[in-house]
Amino acid sequence: MNEFDELLKKRAREEPFPLPEDYAGRVFAACASLEEKQVKAKKTHTLHRWAMGVAAALAVFVAVPNLSAPAAAAMERIPVLGSIVKVITFRTYTYDDEHAHADVSVPQIEGSGSAAASVNADAQKYTDALVEQFKADCADLGEAYEGLNVTYDVVTDSDTWFTLRVDALETKASGYQFAKIYNIDKTTDQVVALDGLFKDDSDWAKALSDEVLRQMNEQMADASSGTAYFTEDFTGVTADQNYYFDAEGNLVLAFDEYTVAPGSMGAVEFTIAPSAYENLLK
Amino acid sequence: MPCLTKAWFTGQVVQNQTALYRTARTILKNREDAEDAVQEAILAAYASLDTLRTPESFKPWILRILTNRCYDVCRRSRPTVDLSDVENVLCASGTDCTEKMSLWQAVEQLPDDLRTPITLFYYEDLNIRQICSVLNLSEPAVKTRLHRGRAKLRELLGEEGT
Repeated sequence: MNEFDELLKKRAREEPFPLPEDYAGRVFAACASLEEKQVKAKKTHTLHRWAMGVAAALAVFVAVPNLSAPAAAAMERIPVLGSIVKVITFRTYTYDDEHAHADVSVPQIEGSGSAAASVNADAQKYTDALVEQFKADCADLGEAYEGLNVTYDVVTDSDTWFTLRVDALETKASGYQFAKIYNIDKTTDQVVALDGLFKDDSDWAKALSDEVLRQMNEQMADASSGTAYFTEDFTGVTADQNYYFDAEGNLVLAFDEYTVAPGSMGAVEFTIAPSAYENLLK
Repeated sequence: MPCLTKAWFTGQVVQNQTALYRTARTILKNREDAEDAVQEAILAAYASLDTLRTPESFKPWILRILTNRCYDVCRRSRPTVDLSDVENVLCASGTDCTEKMSLWQAVEQLPDDLRTPITLFYYEDLNIRQICSVLNLSEPAVKTRLHRGRAKLRELLGEEGT
């Protein structure tokens, strides 16, 4: 919290808030009218309702290198290339009761590279945190509906890039869709964040942000499209921005729901033309 | 495990009675409607006491029941405004007001969708996840509303908020 927040909290605590004269009496009357009863307090979590499954039986084969013979031969000569062969569901978490539902699939990349190991560890940590938050939210309120669905997908599996996307949907009355995207450069066996694509001294963030803003304004100019973005609140693209390269090799920037657009727009993506950034690449 | 009794429930209600009325007023402009909604929420909450998962979560739990009641009232009735409320706003925004604006007067001038999250955060000390649960909103939606509400309060109260 910043100073302004602290000051507002202080004022909220200290400034008098007048209640209507008869209000306390009405509260008292409502309480007095209640009949005596006893309800046993619940445990914080009903853990027995959680079910967990482990890999083998649920293994889902996702990606197979689909290359021409010369390309496959070339691939074998590069040590780290081809070390990723598939992604399996390492673990599933499911939960169900009257008010809450969760279905979480934790992915695991099968491969010998260190990048795969790093992604696996992070994906495990990330999904664990989502599950813990879900349990905490469930404990907070009784009547509220809580939902959590986590799935994954291999977005790209090219000669250079292997991209794993973990999608989450948190549901209360409305949904909140968000994702975490891992990009592995097969040629270096490194997990590459967005800033890792560009030269150190380049202003890649401005170049990409300008292009995103340009596309937002262009789309909103067509009033009949019903498109809306929070252009005034858009603070720009940062190093931890979700991105991937699509099947045509285009750079795509992916934004979580509500971050740059109203909920009616869902999670939005912008495909960036190479001309906007290619001279900035490493 | 402890038992939740009428005495325990009544104690919790009394302890949170200001929070209940204040939250109701962020949604309902009419004082009578807000008092009615609080009374109805107390009865509804007691009837569904078995849905309270932990005694510690009483406040967000009953505030959620209350806000649902308030939204029901909004849907049922046409908006009406107390004369005293009009005077408050006129004092807050006009040039004749001799005293500085109170925080609550500034909160009352916020747009409808910002008033309740701001009140739950600053007055009721709920965290963002609890506000999400009370208002059935996603975390980014709550954060966005708090961000906008904060900016608006800064504008209304001045940079220092004094």
